[in-house]
Order: sequence, then structure tokens, then C-alpha cells
Amino acid sequence: MTRAQQTVSIGLLFASTQLYLALFLQLIPLPSIISEEIIPVLPLWALVSFGSYLLAKLGYGVLTFNDVPEAHAELMKEIDLAREDLRTKGVEVD
Amino acid sequence: MAPRNKYSVILPTYNERKNLPIIVWLLNDSFTKNGFEYEIIIVDDASPDNTAEIARQLQTAFPNRIILKQRSGKLGLGTAYVHGLQFATGNFVIIMDADFSHHPKFIPDMIRVQSTKDYDIVTGTRYSGKHGGVYGWDLKRKLVSKGANIFADTVLRPGVSDLTGSFRLYKKDVLEKVITKVQSKGYVFQMELMVLAKAMGYSVAEVPISFVDRVYGESKLGSSEIAEYATGVLSLWMRV
Repeated sequence: MTRAQQTVSIGLLFASTQLYLALFLQLIPLPSIISEEIIPVLPLWALVSFGSYLLAKLGYGVLTFNDVPEAHAELMKEIDLAREDLRTKGVEVD
Repeated sequence: MAPRNKYSVILPTYNERKNLPIIVWLLNDSFTKNGFEYEIIIVDDASPDNTAEIARQLQTAFPNRIILKQRSGKLGLGTAYVHGLQFATGNFVIIMDADFSHHPKFIPDMIRVQSTKDYDIVTGTRYSGKHGGVYGWDLKRKLVSKGANIFADTVLRPGVSDLTGSFRLYKKDVLEKVITKVQSKGYVFQMELMVLAKAMGYSVAEVPISFVDRVYGESKLGSSEIAEYATGVLSLWMRV
């Protein structure tokens, strides 16, 4: 991370904590339904969303994890070929 | 005309008597078919199965291609690369497993990609491309692998899709510089190498590779390996 990125991230983190605190302490007037029901659970919501995102990414990754049986078949043929050739070159192969 | 590139493959071995001749044969096949200059440096950690004897037979079969360096005991993968690197005469170094999980047929792809933008590092990835993928992994193994990768990716954000992969092409001077800073061993070694290289500003490209799990012998993945991996990622996180 460059210094510029570091400064920007620290700044953003600081600003968003300040904003959240102001909202949480009701320093910024909002309808009571928002300030009482939504603001307090916002951090938890963010955490759960992040977790779900990671889980979804994991699920997608495993689903799209490619199987390559043809690579195995090809390798087996090449190993046999290599064995024969190596024997003629005087290398011990089992 | 620019001086010809030479590729040094470092193969650390420990009880690879069965695998070594075949991987050397495949390497030779892949390099000579494509007309690349190469050498293979075998760093053998005093294998009880006498891998060194086979390596000497290979030196006769493939003259001037194979350098054998023997060490007195099992000193580990990381130091094997450092040791092998001292004897590399190529301007590029290739690091791979000697057990066929990495197929040399992908090396020409790596070399071609490297030359497109003069990349410092080209790494193989199992997670993308039509030819990328694995063979012989069940659902659990895929889940652990992918999970480990997402964990490292979230914490370290290296911008490389296959952080723990160990099939890579390096510029020799780049590898020499990065490897002196690496502290970890085992699983974390490859990951640390990549994260440090990225942090030092080296350019990295990716090539899809297929990964055929150990044809002979077992690859191990238990809870102690997972714990080792997790602590490794976290300690790296504290450092870079």
C-alpha cells in the first residue's frame, strides 16, 4: 500500500467513525425509527453482510473449481513414454 | 540480437527416486521442443532412497543439463531454493514441485507471457482459465484450498489469485532479492515470497495451470497443516 492510500484509508476510517458516533448519540436529528431501530444494529449488519459475501465467494469458488481429468490421462501416457525412453538411456525406472 | 535467455529449474528432492527421472524427461521434452536453453538444479537432502544415484544416471543421459547438489540432511524447502540459486547460471529461475503435480508443458506458456511485458514473476494459477484446475481433489479438499485462499486474499490482498501455488517463473535477480527477506518455512514460504515481491513493487502475471495431485505417495492436509497456514498468514499480515 502506498503512503497516499494509507492516508486516505485512515482518513476515511476516522471520518466514518465520527459520523457513526454522531448518529448513534443522536447529535444529528433523524426520525426516531431510524435512530432507535436502525443505527444501533448497523455495525452488526455490516459484519454479517461481509461474512455472507465471503461465504458466497467460497461457494462460488468451489463450484467453479475446474476438474481436469484429461490432464491426468495425458500425464499417465507421457509417464509411460518417458519410462521407455529413459530405459534406453540407461536410467533406472521402476 | 539480445543474449539468449536461459532457464534454471530448481528441483528440491527428498525421496523422489521414482518421480525424478520422469519429471526431468518431461522438462527436457518441453524445453527442447520449444527451443529454450535450460538447466536443472537438483538439490537433494540426503534422501534415504538414494535419489542422488538416479540424479547421476540422469546426468549421463542428459549431458550438461543437470547439476546435482547434495546436502547432508533434510534441511527444508526454503533453504533448498536459496542453496540451489547459488549455482543457477540462467537469467530466469523456475520453481516447481518434482512430483508431477506441476506439468512442465506450462513452462513455455509462462515464458511467452513473461516476454509480453517483461514481467518480473509469472505464477501458475489453479483457479482460472480453461486449462486451469485440479485432478484428484474431493469436495473437502477443494473447500479447504479455496477457503485458505480467500482467507489469505482478504487479509493480505496480494492481487494474485493463487497465492499458495508453487509453480512459478522468476527473474533470477528478483528471486535473489526477495528470497533473502523470507522468514517462513513450509506452506507459508511460497505465499510469503509472493506477498513480499508484490510489496516490493515487482510485476506479476498469471498463467492457468492444471494441478494433478500426487500420482505416487500421499499429499497431507490435516488440522495441523491448516493451523500452520493460518498462523503463517496472520504473521505475514503483521509484517507487510
